[in-house]
Amino acid sequence: MAGHPLITAQLDALAARLPAPAAAELADGLWETYERRLDECGDPDRAAYAAVTDFGDADTITAAFLRHAPQRRVALLLLATGPIMAVLWGTALLTAHALAWPVPPAGKLLYGGALMATVALLLMTIRERRSYRRGRAMTVGALAALIALDVLMSLTAVTVGPVPAWPTALAVTASMLRILLALRALPSVLTG
Amino acid sequence: MRAEALKGHLDGLLLATLEDGPLHGYAVKEALREVTEGRIDLPTGTVYPALHRLEGAGLISGTWAVANGRRRRTYRLTAAGHAALSDQRAGWQEFATAVTFALKARPWPATP
Repeated sequence: MAGHPLITAQLDALAARLPAPAAAELADGLWETYERRLDECGDPDRAAYAAVTDFGDADTITAAFLRHAPQRRVALLLLATGPIMAVLWGTALLTAHALAWPVPPAGKLLYGGALMATVALLLMTIRERRSYRRGRAMTVGALAALIALDVLMSLTAVTVGPVPAWPTALAVTASMLRILLALRALPSVLTG
Repeated sequence: MRAEALKGHLDGLLLATLEDGPLHGYAVKEALREVTEGRIDLPTGTVYPALHRLEGAGLISGTWAVANGRRRRTYRLTAAGHAALSDQRAGWQEFATAVTFALKARPWPATP
């Protein structure tokens, strides 16, 4: 059966936003809808318009996929555990007098900026409604950044700071757990 | 029937359509429309994200095949899906019975 430009355009829009398997499945559904409408009315243009209307718009479908996407769940989990990590590291740095550590101010600023950018990426991921792929890329970026930041902070605390006390040990353990969580989440985010 | 009226019941409805055997997304939508005599006619595109969510929860499983020259994903209920459907049915019966009692028209009390 011949195609229709309206259906092709709708599928192109969905394919640009969604993972390939989801786009392939939607393509089957939309062509099926079109073929049924064409059988009913016999007019390709009317059938295509009716099929697209019946199917729902690309924004609604993309938002529905994103609402339950693995990347959104991971971003929510990381944001929810953020305040706990902040308390743990805040206590560790205060008790270890981190302001006196021989770390250049530019390094501290860079670290703070990278941390804020990572939180912003996670917030943007959970607010993303239009592109599954963009949401996935932002989550992967945030996970990679969090792993790097956790490793850097833990190494600095252990090597530059004084003999680690229990708050530092607790914070480093929490960071290691978050790194494990991020590594475990990466495959589902990449393939989800 | 308005879509918001289905909130909280969509999963059970989709699981019920798969109880008799595997179906692909469009067939699920059509089965739901037919069994409700047209009262529930979901936008086709919204059925797919719901099926993906159910698959992610392990209640259904999907397999790819080729039909009419197109890739097609067909879903079937898993054991967990059958159990979830039974729970949904029991919950619905309880809810429907309670609401039916609550909404039942009562005669006006007799004037003394």
